[in-house]
Amino acid sequence: MKRYRLTYFLGQSFKGLWRNGIMSVASITVLMSCLVVMGSFALLILNIDANLENLGLLNEVVLFIDETKTPEEVSAIGDKIRALDNVAEVTFISKEQALEEERQKYSEYSGLYELVEGDNPLRDEFVIKYEDNSKVSTLVYQLGQIDGVAKVNNRLDLAMSIEKIKNSISLVLVWFMAILFAVSIFVIINTIKLAVHSRRAEITIMRYVGATDWFVILPFIFEGIIIGIISSAIAFFIQWYIYGYVVKMVDGTFDFLKILGFNEIGLLVAVIFLGIGVVTGIIGSTISTRKYLKA
Amino acid sequence: MIEFRDVSKVYKNGTVALDGVNIRIADGEFVFIVGESGAGKTTLMKLLLREEKATDGRLIVRCDKQVGDKVQPTVYDLSKISNFKVPYYRRELGVVFQDFRLFPNKTVFENVAFAMQVVGESNRVIKRRVPAILNIVNLTDKQNSYPSQLSGGEQQRVALARALANNPQIIIADEPTGNIDPKMSLEIMNLLVKIHKRGKTVIVVTHEKDLVDYFKQRVIRIRDGKVISDGVGGMTV
Repeated sequence: MKRYRLTYFLGQSFKGLWRNGIMSVASITVLMSCLVVMGSFALLILNIDANLENLGLLNEVVLFIDETKTPEEVSAIGDKIRALDNVAEVTFISKEQALEEERQKYSEYSGLYELVEGDNPLRDEFVIKYEDNSKVSTLVYQLGQIDGVAKVNNRLDLAMSIEKIKNSISLVLVWFMAILFAVSIFVIINTIKLAVHSRRAEITIMRYVGATDWFVILPFIFEGIIIGIISSAIAFFIQWYIYGYVVKMVDGTFDFLKILGFNEIGLLVAVIFLGIGVVTGIIGSTISTRKYLKA
Repeated sequence: MIEFRDVSKVYKNGTVALDGVNIRIADGEFVFIVGESGAGKTTLMKLLLREEKATDGRLIVRCDKQVGDKVQPTVYDLSKISNFKVPYYRRELGVVFQDFRLFPNKTVFENVAFAMQVVGESNRVIKRRVPAILNIVNLTDKQNSYPSQLSGGEQQRVALARALANNPQIIIADEPTGNIDPKMSLEIMNLLVKIHKRGKTVIVVTHEKDLVDYFKQRVIRIRDGKVISDGVGGMTV
């Protein structure tokens, strides 16, 4: 059984990278920069999402019940809510539970709550999660029409503003990605072309002694993959450093801000970087060796 | 067996390089292909190496390989062969060029071994087979030398050894003595005759009249893309 040795291909790939040192460094730098920029935007979006979720602004309406309603009537209101369209989840919070939550939230002002002991000023409430943002106005209207509903609270305006900002950032990210991705591929194509050019005599001889297409181009594909791996590894560590630095600066500045720890997202960042790096390397080297695939 | 049946080759710019060529070379033959510059020799070689495809006609190569006790024939129709199969066809050929085409940064051993690495041969087989081939071309003592440390004749012997590395049935030598002195030329030709006697089909493209006359083998003469003579003897045939 004839088998090609991986070490042969890897050896050739490293030789190619070494021979065209400057272009290899340029490819790695460009791809790495692309990954860091993309990673920074992606981390920003992830943090915005986490904060939206944390603030409960998205997909949530709070409905307060008239205090004159009996527990049976409140339960019936709950059933009516559940029967409505676009309702995903309904959670009932009694006024006692609400008071207790408030008491815990503002424990430093416990004296205040002693004043209202026995005369709870809060109302029973339903927290309603819905499915579709675009139909929320209808839902809010329908909820307001239910007998016994004192008030319907939703922060859709704020949520939508934050969503809009997030979408704008995502759009910028996509464009940045597309441009940097194209630049990265362009630089990799040129690097691999140089490698192919410096080995053209070797390739001709390979052809005459019966080398298959794969035997000829695999070292160049590996070269692209190695560029991708090195770029993603460096980008990961730079991202880690930058993120840590930014978190240190922002953390504690605003109490309401929730910032994701790098340990929570590091693996995801590493996998995505590696995936993009390797795919870019493969695409770049495949394009540059395509014309050598003729017999 | 190699068979050109009414083979023509017209390049995109309209140049007719070959025009209705009919040649049949049997297994184990020694053939010289001669002709002036621009006669069509190079195109004929390119078709045989499947670097180019014939515009018209058929080019069929049949190779018999010994597999155990049996002889296994493989037929390649070069007018129809897919690009995917071309490398496997080329493994049936050993090619020697005028300019040797050796790797300057590889030793003699590595240059010969390379042809075997390309087809995925194991290190064990390479280590066993390369010295045996170098022995055939009398280069055993030079296996660790680099091409730059060798004479032209020695470099061509390395190229010949590389051509033999995968034990092909057909050896094609394109002006093998073009870059070496007459004494070495004779030595190279003697080696080709030696290889021929081992049962290989040898095709030598040359314009060196003295060598062709000296070896008295079959000579196919080409002019303006046509075969103008085919017979045993010298260039004067």
